[in-house]
Amino acid sequence: MTATGAPLAVRARDVLACEWTKLFSVRSTFWTMLVAVVTPVAISTVVAEALANAPTKDAPLDPLLPGLFSLEYAVLAIGVLGVLAFSTEYGTGLIRTTFAAMPRRRAVLAAKAVVIGVVSLAAGELVAFASFFLVQAVLSSHGLGVSLSRPGVPGALLAEGILLCVVAMIGLALGAIVRHTAGGIAALVGLLILPGILALLPAPWGARLGRFTLLLAAHQVTALHPATNQFSPALSLLVLLAWPAVALLAAALMITRRDA
Amino acid sequence: MIEVDQLVKRFGAVTAVDGLTFAVRPGHVTGFLGPNGAGKTTTMRVILGLDAPTSGTALINQRRYDTLIRPLHEVGALLDATALHGGRTARAHVLSIAQSNGIGRRRVAEVLRLAGLEAVAGRRVAGYSLGMKQRLGIAVALLGDPPVLMFDEPVNGLDTEGIAWIRQFLLALAADGRTVMVSSHLMSEMAQTADRLIVIGRGRLIADTTTAELIASSTRRDVLVRSPRAGELAGLLTARGATVTRQDDGGLAVTGVEAPAIGDLAAEHGIAVHALVPRSASLEDAYLDLTGESVDYRAAAPMPAAPEGAPGR
Repeated sequence: MTATGAPLAVRARDVLACEWTKLFSVRSTFWTMLVAVVTPVAISTVVAEALANAPTKDAPLDPLLPGLFSLEYAVLAIGVLGVLAFSTEYGTGLIRTTFAAMPRRRAVLAAKAVVIGVVSLAAGELVAFASFFLVQAVLSSHGLGVSLSRPGVPGALLAEGILLCVVAMIGLALGAIVRHTAGGIAALVGLLILPGILALLPAPWGARLGRFTLLLAAHQVTALHPATNQFSPALSLLVLLAWPAVALLAAALMITRRDA
Repeated sequence: MIEVDQLVKRFGAVTAVDGLTFAVRPGHVTGFLGPNGAGKTTTMRVILGLDAPTSGTALINQRRYDTLIRPLHEVGALLDATALHGGRTARAHVLSIAQSNGIGRRRVAEVLRLAGLEAVAGRRVAGYSLGMKQRLGIAVALLGDPPVLMFDEPVNGLDTEGIAWIRQFLLALAADGRTVMVSSHLMSEMAQTADRLIVIGRGRLIADTTTAELIASSTRRDVLVRSPRAGELAGLLTARGATVTRQDDGGLAVTGVEAPAIGDLAAEHGIAVHALVPRSASLEDAYLDLTGESVDYRAAAPMPAAPEGAPGR
């Protein structure tokens, strides 16, 4: 039969097409994307205005900070998008139809990761650059802005976009591992607010452990003036990428071992 | 062809499937019967590679399901018609599954038409009735034009029209030379569709037979006799070695002696006979005989007997 002789590339394209159709045929995708893109762009200008008018200016203002702060809203929405990719299929039982059509479950995970990865990265870069220009417009009126050509700025903006992709991948993996929408989102939120919880630990430990959390690592990677008591930006980037790698690996292991 | 060999599936301490062996052959509608909880759905999930067997094998055309490259061309299955994302349109749902197996949009439109969903394919499935969802599930099962089809309780919750539609569909698929396996806990439903039956209870095989054989082998074959001198006739029949049970309405249920012999005996003694009806057990009865001992949960009190005049099925 010709079907069994289909080359790997063709089969990969088929599975990707399937997941692409699935992602863009439900409304939740459009809502989460809307929240992920519009909210941070809107909030970043407000944050920029607030920072520029702050009465104390002891610490040098990082002109990229407003953009990063506002990205934390986008991170939640895009993470939920990732969780939903698997949790809704498990919740409805659709996952059995999916796995019956595609018995190679890791291929399904990989296809979802590629589709959602591409979409979240695109959304992330869009948000990062859009809010950068808005924020700098606000800051420039106070004489605090920076231009895109300044060393370190393009890299930081790219990293901001990558943060969204990273969180989407973690959400996807959590959805596959937890298999419930509410549980998956709870786990995701738990991971994201970890820095706040670790900050409550006694003196050296809060910072030591905090270096390993997603958002603090992201701050180090994207800041123009990285903190000195944290990992270097390069090491922080590794931390940032290790999270989704570990999560997806765990998902890949569990997805094949459990009954659908 | 579906071949299940020494299949065992345990969930913790519960053994859902317990050494099941059977084959489902092409050209027939094979009923896969058993009470609720007998292990039908679990068996089908193992066949489809969704649940891993504890031991034993399940093969489709000599291959394990998870080795199939584009399985929709080999097997079409409907496990749970309600397992859908309500926000998706029927067309998007079918298209996404079609794409995963390299099946084009033309075939998507074709199966939607076959299932009678053409006009509503653009609607979100959340608004679909159960009958429409069953049709949608069948459309998906037909996508790859597979030689093997499996349906889990496809008529559950359907109205008469929907049941008739599915029944004709199953028969047409089998007449095409395909392997059709249909699970049900309702014998009466299978009686009209399946010509082969695999009956299981508590995860074990109880019978692997044809529908006709199952009826014939039933222990509940008797002759209903009515006579104004029933008591006298009962005595004569018992003397001939028959077993006679007097029904509540005065009729005699006779086993061990066939109807012609009963008529002759009555004539010999000048006893008028008002009714002489050979009764074969309905398939439902035969099924209950088979599965009676393998039901996990049963009502504490016996169900009231149906009135004698009720039409048999």
